[in-house]
Amino acid sequence: MRRRERMLQDLDQEIRDHIEMATQDNIASGMSPHEARHAAVRKFGNATLVKEDAREVWSFVWLEQLLQDIRLGLRMLRKSPGFAAVAILTLALGIGANTAIFSVINGVLLSPLPYKNPKQLVVIKENDSPPNVMDIQRQVRAFSQGGGINVEPMDYTGGTEPVQVRVGRINAGFLETLGVQPMLGRIISPGEDVPGGPRLVMVSNHFWQNYLDSDPHAVGNTIRLGGNSYSVIGVMPASFAPPAENADVFVSLWVGDPGAAGDRDVHFMHTYWRLNAGVTLAQAQTEMAAIDRRLAEQYPAEEKERKRQLVPLHEWLIGDVRSALLVLFGAVGLVLLIACANFASLLMMRALAERQALVIRTALGAGRGRLIRKTLTESALLSVLGGAAGLLLAQWGTRMLLGLRPEALARLSGIHMDTRVLLFVLVVSVLTGILFGMAPVWIAARADVAGSLKESGRSATASTMGHSLRKILVISELAVALVLLVGAGLLIKGFSRLRSLNPGFNSANVMTMYLQLSTTRYPEIPKQNRFRRELLTRLNFLPGVQAAMVTDIPLGGNYVGHRFVIDGRPPVAVGSEPEVQTLSVMGDYFHLMQIPLRAGRDFTPLDREGQPLVAIVNEEMVREFFPYEKPIGLRIRWAGETEPPQWMIVIGVVGDVKHSGLNQPTDPAVYTPFSQSDEAWRRFMTLAIRTRDASPGLVEEVKRQIWSLDSQIPVGDVHTMDELMAVSLAQQRFNMLLLGLFAALALILAAVGIYGAMAYAVNQRTHEIGIRTALGAQRRDVLRLIMRDGTKIALFGIASGIAGALALTRLMASLLFEVKPTDPATFAGVAILLALVTLAACYIPARRAMRVDPMVALRYE
Amino acid sequence: MSTKEQKERTKLLQGTLDLLILRTLVLGPAHGHAIAKAIEFKSDDVLQVEQGSLYPALHRLIKRRWISVEGGTSENNRKAKFYRLTALGRKQLVLETSKWDTLARAIRRILRPTEEGPS
Repeated sequence: MRRRERMLQDLDQEIRDHIEMATQDNIASGMSPHEARHAAVRKFGNATLVKEDAREVWSFVWLEQLLQDIRLGLRMLRKSPGFAAVAILTLALGIGANTAIFSVINGVLLSPLPYKNPKQLVVIKENDSPPNVMDIQRQVRAFSQGGGINVEPMDYTGGTEPVQVRVGRINAGFLETLGVQPMLGRIISPGEDVPGGPRLVMVSNHFWQNYLDSDPHAVGNTIRLGGNSYSVIGVMPASFAPPAENADVFVSLWVGDPGAAGDRDVHFMHTYWRLNAGVTLAQAQTEMAAIDRRLAEQYPAEEKERKRQLVPLHEWLIGDVRSALLVLFGAVGLVLLIACANFASLLMMRALAERQALVIRTALGAGRGRLIRKTLTESALLSVLGGAAGLLLAQWGTRMLLGLRPEALARLSGIHMDTRVLLFVLVVSVLTGILFGMAPVWIAARADVAGSLKESGRSATASTMGHSLRKILVISELAVALVLLVGAGLLIKGFSRLRSLNPGFNSANVMTMYLQLSTTRYPEIPKQNRFRRELLTRLNFLPGVQAAMVTDIPLGGNYVGHRFVIDGRPPVAVGSEPEVQTLSVMGDYFHLMQIPLRAGRDFTPLDREGQPLVAIVNEEMVREFFPYEKPIGLRIRWAGETEPPQWMIVIGVVGDVKHSGLNQPTDPAVYTPFSQSDEAWRRFMTLAIRTRDASPGLVEEVKRQIWSLDSQIPVGDVHTMDELMAVSLAQQRFNMLLLGLFAALALILAAVGIYGAMAYAVNQRTHEIGIRTALGAQRRDVLRLIMRDGTKIALFGIASGIAGALALTRLMASLLFEVKPTDPATFAGVAILLALVTLAACYIPARRAMRVDPMVALRYE
Repeated sequence: MSTKEQKERTKLLQGTLDLLILRTLVLGPAHGHAIAKAIEFKSDDVLQVEQGSLYPALHRLIKRRWISVEGGTSENNRKAKFYRLTALGRKQLVLETSKWDTLARAIRRILRPTEEGPS
């Protein structure tokens, strides 16, 4: 085709030259220049038409032949709809599954974050305190901007019933760092983010639509949050959401929570930073380390041992999901490989069956190139149809994935079919068609005209052409299927381990609800405790209901850590005391949650204000800090407290609870009674309510009781404990379900593959089997003949699959829970399963072979 | 507008034009304009071709590998494309010429039966 380009490229110039020369000739014969040119142009004729004709010379035949091939291909597919359906369906499954996973990967891993210049954004891995954030904002030159956010629920009392909204308490700089422009109004300026600053609020688009009726003049309105009036100054665009946790409204931290804002020791802000242009992450990290040292010298009590680690925002957001998605993408790629192998062997069987036609075409003078093109057109046609069907499957599959989505795949909302996904499908299907369409071409290219015509389809044994290649295809299908099955098996085993794991409490029939007391109306601890005690008393009066309170419910996603000191131990440097999980409870919490008491006694209503301070620790705490002594009676206190020290006596030990997630280790924990704790965060509490049977009216009844005490208290996060368990398992469940699905798909495709190959072999050998039977072979002998082949293939496939799985399952170690990637039981189980399926797939054609009637078989053909 | 008629005439010309181009190039390589001029000159200007239709014909011949193309300089020192007869083209010319002779004789036999002498 290079000739064509060269010829067409110079045509314009050539035509101009031609006319120029003709003009010169005309002038020489005595015409005026104007006349001469006119005559030359007229004589030349329509230059555009000439160019078109010349182009047509080059393009016509090629296009014509392609159309011819496509028409021929379509006619061929119509003639054998069964073959076409199987081939297209096979590819559609492979391509569809790949496309679905690819669109997730595209949305989660490949698409840029929805912020301005997202590549410049980094996050400090550890939470930080507001004074530190301000120091870093001022001192680090590597950052152009930065700021933090902390999301807290607060009650919004402007609507019909009090609701909890998520309040993003931010530094000035947070929104600028992400580069968001308000849809209406403005964002707060640094001058307003100061102690005693004006009460201003920016609302999310969601809040604006739901609570402000999408009022275009909402800016300037006043809303009530947590008992205070805030003036709305801006509305965010719908496309905006903070990176990690979502918020409904945004206020200045200095204004919303001045107490926390000045505290260097409370590290609760997620901070985001924008690198200056040209600054690398490593440079910023170096500068950060210098800041760490400076802060540690300045504030040894709070800042010792802090090592701020910078991570690109994108990496930080998708870190956990990434490995899971890549494993799934690998798995689904393997499914496509199996589908392609099936496709190739289907095409080959067909090519073999049509060899006569091919040979006749060759004998009649069809060029080899032309035949190859025809065959490839057919395969490409099939694969493109398969791709189109796959796209439909993918659309459905993506919806299913969205239904299954675990919280960790938070960015899944950005998942849809875009041009990149469509391009992916197109490339995959065309490549599949061409690469795997080569199999029949290979046969075509080897067609020996004279020999084949003589053979004329009549042979006692199967032709060996393509036979070994097909066997290799089936063996690799089995091997790949085994790898996938092992992967899925490992995940299933890990998941069932996780499921059957004792979380340390009994989740059945427990409902939880999050409450928060407003600081304006419940400023003092005793007043808060009066409310709590009264509420629990009322709830416990309800028939069949048992209620208690805890600061943070297990698997609820939160916990507070505190440094502590043990009485009688050598003093530890300030700032490096050990940290434990701290929880406050009220009511019969341990009994209600069925957390076993291992030693000592439970709290009683007498452990309250004015009484000796008491604490209960968990077993992990004992293992880690008091392995050689009796914990009961020991005294501990919170670190950093003023004199005189407030010692708490350990009065009991309870069982460990999986607080942060079923697959997470248990942390040492200290429980204290609500009524003896006066930290600011004790305003938060989660109700735990156990009922004899789940009655639908219970939630409403509990709300009624709460609001009869105080109609302004919002109730949020109503979940059953079982739901929290399910959420905690969601990512594992997602991985397991998907890989399980892919493995099942692989198993089916491989079974179809081996069935097809064996059925074809039996078909080819009908004649031979007829002769054997006529010569006295028993049905058993025929069965053995066919099954021997199948068994050999199965053994080879399983052996190479095990080798492959041993090499590959290491990659998914991070996804497994308490299962080794080389778990022998899983390997054995999967191998046996695959062997059984293979033998079953062989048995059907083998049984047909047994029934071969020698008379028919010998007359056949 | 009689497109159909025109099409048929072009078609007729096409086969002939190919033959005439091949014949012209026997004398040596030539550029497009020279070929057109030569055809007109040698036929005493009887054959008035739309000179442009020469180019699609040249492309067609190149595609069939009956002629090849090379760069060169024209009489008045311009860069131009020169077309050269290939060996394949030479064979084709012989074939086409004899075909043409047969056709011409046959047509003459039908149109002027009396002139048919015992030759």
